[in-house]
Amino acid sequence: MNALLILASEGGANPVSFEILPAATAFVVFGVVFIALAYFVWPTVAKGLDDRNAKIVGEIKGAEEARAAAKAAQAEFERSLANAREESANMIKQARADAQRIADELKAKNEQELAERVARANADIEVARKAAVADLQAQSAMLATEIASKILRRQVNDQDNQRLVQESLQELASSRR
Amino acid sequence: MTLILASGTDPLGHVLDKSSAFTDLFGFDVPLSVVSVVIGAVIVMALLVHSSRRIKTGPESQGHQRYVTRGRFAQIVEVMVDGLYTQLLEPVMGARLAKKWLPFLFSMFFFVLVLNVMGLVPLADLQEIIHSFGSKHEAGEGAAVVTTEKRALLWIGGTATASLSVNIGLAFWAFLAIQWQSLRELGVKGWLEHLCGGADLVRNKGLWFVVPIIFVVEVLGLIIKPAALAIRLFANMVGGHTLMATLMLFGAMAGSLGIAAVSGISLVAGAAAVVISLLEIFVAVLQAFVFMFLTAVFISQMSHGEEHHDEEHGHEDHHGSVSADSHSPKAAH
Repeated sequence: MNALLILASEGGANPVSFEILPAATAFVVFGVVFIALAYFVWPTVAKGLDDRNAKIVGEIKGAEEARAAAKAAQAEFERSLANAREESANMIKQARADAQRIADELKAKNEQELAERVARANADIEVARKAAVADLQAQSAMLATEIASKILRRQVNDQDNQRLVQESLQELASSRR
Repeated sequence: MTLILASGTDPLGHVLDKSSAFTDLFGFDVPLSVVSVVIGAVIVMALLVHSSRRIKTGPESQGHQRYVTRGRFAQIVEVMVDGLYTQLLEPVMGARLAKKWLPFLFSMFFFVLVLNVMGLVPLADLQEIIHSFGSKHEAGEGAAVVTTEKRALLWIGGTATASLSVNIGLAFWAFLAIQWQSLRELGVKGWLEHLCGGADLVRNKGLWFVVPIIFVVEVLGLIIKPAALAIRLFANMVGGHTLMATLMLFGAMAGSLGIAAVSGISLVAGAAAVVISLLEIFVAVLQAFVFMFLTAVFISQMSHGEEHHDEEHGHEDHHGSVSADSHSPKAAH
């Protein structure tokens, strides 16, 4: 600034002097520039930037929506998968339960049938045994009667006794056949 | 460089406004700054119209490509506009004001930027150098030889923003914008109340004697704010160019020391001038930005009513400490 003042004091051009023509020209010319740019340039630039901004925001929003939809679909898929797993587990459980039930039923039925058969066999055995005992009793009675009658007809010695017993056993054996 | 040195030995002679060749044409003094302003206006309009066409959204047939700005220069303009708007204007002024004042502020920024950058091109110096060949005419014979030198006809060149007058013309627009916003937001009554220190102060009868003082200060502030814009721009442009011209004159100043000294000094001074030139490019952009940014700040200050007034002067809370708001960018002067 000192140099400027020295220059001014020495009679050179005053750097800080005010001249109306440059000031007025700058004022008017900038006014023209401002009006021209405000009309032809800035609306176009602002619209271009706004369009791009809207496009970018739209794309980001679309991407976020797509991501949300994909996330929802994934959640739905995972839920379906979990349901399917649960359902299959239930089905397996149910099948096992059914199989177990059927097996139990079969087992119970078999056991019952077996018990019935055993009972029936026991009953048959009992019947047979009773019949055999009755038969044996009848045979014994008949043999006793027969032996008694024979005893009554003669004296029985040891050989006779032995023979009688043998005969009785043979008769018993033959009667069983 | 030697040719440039030969064009004069006064560093300010390269910086200060000169009469253009149009002076002879029109019959009144037409400074180079006036020519530069007109040429700068044409350049800024041409460049920005060109850029806007390339930034403009294309037809739908182009698909996604219609949103892409075509061309490097248009991309640079777009980055500047987008960056200044989203990073500075919107945070400082708010979305509503920033959108409203975008055309004015960006027109101001690019206009000042083009004028500043035009000043970095040494067109006037080149014309003077060209003119220096054969500009001397000798008349008479023997001891009565008289050498006359014709003045160089400068059609273009110089830094328009190194003229305080040009800057005052531009700053007057800033003044109008600030007052327009103030009147629109506050109304005439609010505007006058603002000049008197705010409605609370005006209605406070105990402090009536402060009101005239504040009124004078505020009225001075109306003028000082745009004047500061003009002087700041002028000082930065003149200072940088003067420094560069001084560096380049070192060689000429060392003329009596011999060719080796002149060459050495010229080489060092030239290298320094290159560095300063790079700094000048930065200063050209920075000062255009500062001019626009401070105008935006001053405009935004007129949009907050009494709240702004408190911010502007840094109010004190009940404990007597200065509020942090006074340090916010909006309150900066």
